[in-house]
Amino acid sequence: MTRPPEDRDLRDTALDTGQEPDALERRLARIWRTPPGLVNALSTVDHKIIGRRYIVTAFVFLALGGVLAMLMRLQLAQPESRFLSPDLYNQVFTIHGANMMFLFAVPVMEAMAIYFVPLLVGTRNIAFPRLGAFSYWVYLFGGSMLWIAFILQMGPDVGWFAYVPLAGPQYSSGKRADIWAQMITFTEISALAVAIEIVVTVLKQRAPGMSLDRIPLVVWAWLVMAFMIIMAMPAVVTASSMLILDRLVGTHFFNPAEGGDVLLWQHLFWFFGHPEVYIIFLPAVGMISTMLPAFVRRPIFGYLPLVMALLTMGLLSFGLWVHHMFTTGLPRLGESFFTASSMAIAVPAGVQIFCWLATIWLGRPAFRVPFLFILAFFFTFVLGGMTGVMVASVPLDTQVHDTYFVVAHFHYVLVGGAVFPLLGAIYYWFPKITGRMMSERIGRWVAGLLFLGFNFTFFPMHILGLQGMTRRIYAYPAEMGWGGMNLFVSLCSVAMAAGFLLFFIDIFRSARHGEPAGDNPWEASTLEWATSSPPPPYNFVRIPVVTSASPLWDEKGSLPVVSGLAVNRRELLITGMGNATPEVRETSPQNSIWPFFAAIATSVMLVASIFTPWAVVWGAIPLTITLIGWFWPRGTPEDDS
Amino acid sequence: MMASRFALLAFLALLAGCKREEREARLAPPIAEAQGAVLVMPNGISGRPHDVIAAQGDAFRNNAYQLSQGKRLFEWFNCQGCHADGGGASGPALMNGWWRYGPDPVSIFLSIRDGRPNGMPPYRDKLTTEQIWQLTGYLQTLGASTASLASTSRNDAMHSRPAENRAPAQAGHTTRPSP
Repeated sequence: MTRPPEDRDLRDTALDTGQEPDALERRLARIWRTPPGLVNALSTVDHKIIGRRYIVTAFVFLALGGVLAMLMRLQLAQPESRFLSPDLYNQVFTIHGANMMFLFAVPVMEAMAIYFVPLLVGTRNIAFPRLGAFSYWVYLFGGSMLWIAFILQMGPDVGWFAYVPLAGPQYSSGKRADIWAQMITFTEISALAVAIEIVVTVLKQRAPGMSLDRIPLVVWAWLVMAFMIIMAMPAVVTASSMLILDRLVGTHFFNPAEGGDVLLWQHLFWFFGHPEVYIIFLPAVGMISTMLPAFVRRPIFGYLPLVMALLTMGLLSFGLWVHHMFTTGLPRLGESFFTASSMAIAVPAGVQIFCWLATIWLGRPAFRVPFLFILAFFFTFVLGGMTGVMVASVPLDTQVHDTYFVVAHFHYVLVGGAVFPLLGAIYYWFPKITGRMMSERIGRWVAGLLFLGFNFTFFPMHILGLQGMTRRIYAYPAEMGWGGMNLFVSLCSVAMAAGFLLFFIDIFRSARHGEPAGDNPWEASTLEWATSSPPPPYNFVRIPVVTSASPLWDEKGSLPVVSGLAVNRRELLITGMGNATPEVRETSPQNSIWPFFAAIATSVMLVASIFTPWAVVWGAIPLTITLIGWFWPRGTPEDDS
Repeated sequence: MMASRFALLAFLALLAGCKREEREARLAPPIAEAQGAVLVMPNGISGRPHDVIAAQGDAFRNNAYQLSQGKRLFEWFNCQGCHADGGGASGPALMNGWWRYGPDPVSIFLSIRDGRPNGMPPYRDKLTTEQIWQLTGYLQTLGASTASLASTSRNDAMHSRPAENRAPAQAGHTTRPSP
């Protein structure tokens, strides 16, 4: 194919003739758009479309997991209840936990990153966008596998961390534990893919001038999260693969009689599992740091300590996994070390809290819905942090291990520390995603119901735990005297469920009939508000140039921009890691159906390998074919340049 | 579109996993009683199980939970004492495909329930009918030449042979039965 030379490299400067005012927008839209139609919908690599799907899917899993939680509360509302059979109850609490951790909390944080990282750092698309598409499909198929298995009574029933020997070949019959282990593999693959994208996008695709000290804090948080995913996830992939091998092929990784080790499971799982908590938590606090300035009308207090706190927490979280294993009989020195390291993480967490308090103190707070969620976060998370310091001490942990005290603790940190900020972030960024505002009035009800409902549901669980109610029991005798408080908890959980229901209603209503938002409804300072709502497929007409940490506040009205990017192919700007000085113009891949096929091939292989080890051999063939298709050069302008 | 693909996926999974994982903690008394109503040939060998077994989808052979219960009973009631890990010791081997009283489930069920001459004691007073069926189902997977998807996996113990899901279990054994 020969093209006229000027067409081979048409720059946006060439369109600045002034004859057609929107010539640039039209050209960019044609190059970056996702055409209508099913195949195109499956082929898109637009990070906003993939991110939106990811977020919606994660919230669907949240709703499903919530239904399971309500089933459990119904069962526990009175002593000796016979609403759920013990076998079904085992599946329900396992899937509730696994679903919330692996299919909601971690993916939703990645999903928000896929949508917002490119907008926040001012680029046209995420790095390796086809990997993002692949990641989404793998996640969707893995999550569906878990729920289909549950419908078929093949739901995992070994708890969300599937300890051996219970989950091992001898005590867990059938394929239930394998479904759990393979669901882990699915989510690991998708998480690792997203993590790579985030790292590269943040380090190499920032808008010129966005040096390390001008990166929005939530992007810092996502960067730390991505590195944590890359370092933590391999441990659990190893563990779950060993478990499947033990169960299917008869290896002896966890069989002490043949030289294996049962505790190896707990070490591998929690080496991942504890960082996972921070993988969920760090993006949430990053969201708070980024949202807060918009509601107190001043830049964040203590940018540097906040970044250091994120890095410190990311690092420390790899050094305290053993506090999940205090009752397994550790050497004294091990207990002391991990107690100390667990308590040490309260220091960076405290630094963050004080920076936020200082920000609010020095600002003029506007009590809009996202800000209400931030306040709900403060109260709830600090309480969860307190009980965290309590269970970090060995004597107390020995007493309350595997009781409802621990259930209360981790719901306080996960719901308080991650879900409240996330819901605030949804209220905050919903106008950017859809172009419409969510309802302020309903939002206040949602925040109120969830905050009160949550605290009244989970606070009594501390007391139940101290009274000796163990977690995961499906029924309890009336003589234990737990009936009254359990009934109270179940009733209050209805308020929480109502809050979530109202939230979903608001989402549906606002997506269609919400007030039009405009580009920057909160008058916030970060780059995503510089483009239209919803953003066009190319994100920014011209890549902005960043001159401060609050670009939209410091450059009133007119951001300086980059010119000279090609408009006849997908092109974006690669900048330096430290100072974000422009380095090179780089193409960004076009839409492709192959990531979808590759995800199907991967899913078939992973599901079949639950049943026969040969699936790995035969499944590799279609997978290879799809990968060849994926990387086959097509002579597009992107490939040629 | 998405919904129909899910429906297809669900259907395929249903075909594969149908009833293999169901668990019932406590059997309804009439069913438990019916399971014991076996029609036996006059010589005490072979016969016909009650229809309830088939109505339950032959759970003792196809259901992973039932098989794993059988495996557990094999250990708890010290079957190894005479039959070793299935290779046979003072009692006959259970995994070489050679059954003294025939390979059909009813014969095996009767051997366990009523005992056999030359040392096999009756277990009718020690095990429930359901448990005897579970043991019967498990014993049949011991000698199977190909493993079913519901077969049990290895124990957390020393191993003298491949587990039932790695059938044939006798792969490591060269001894043949002497006719």
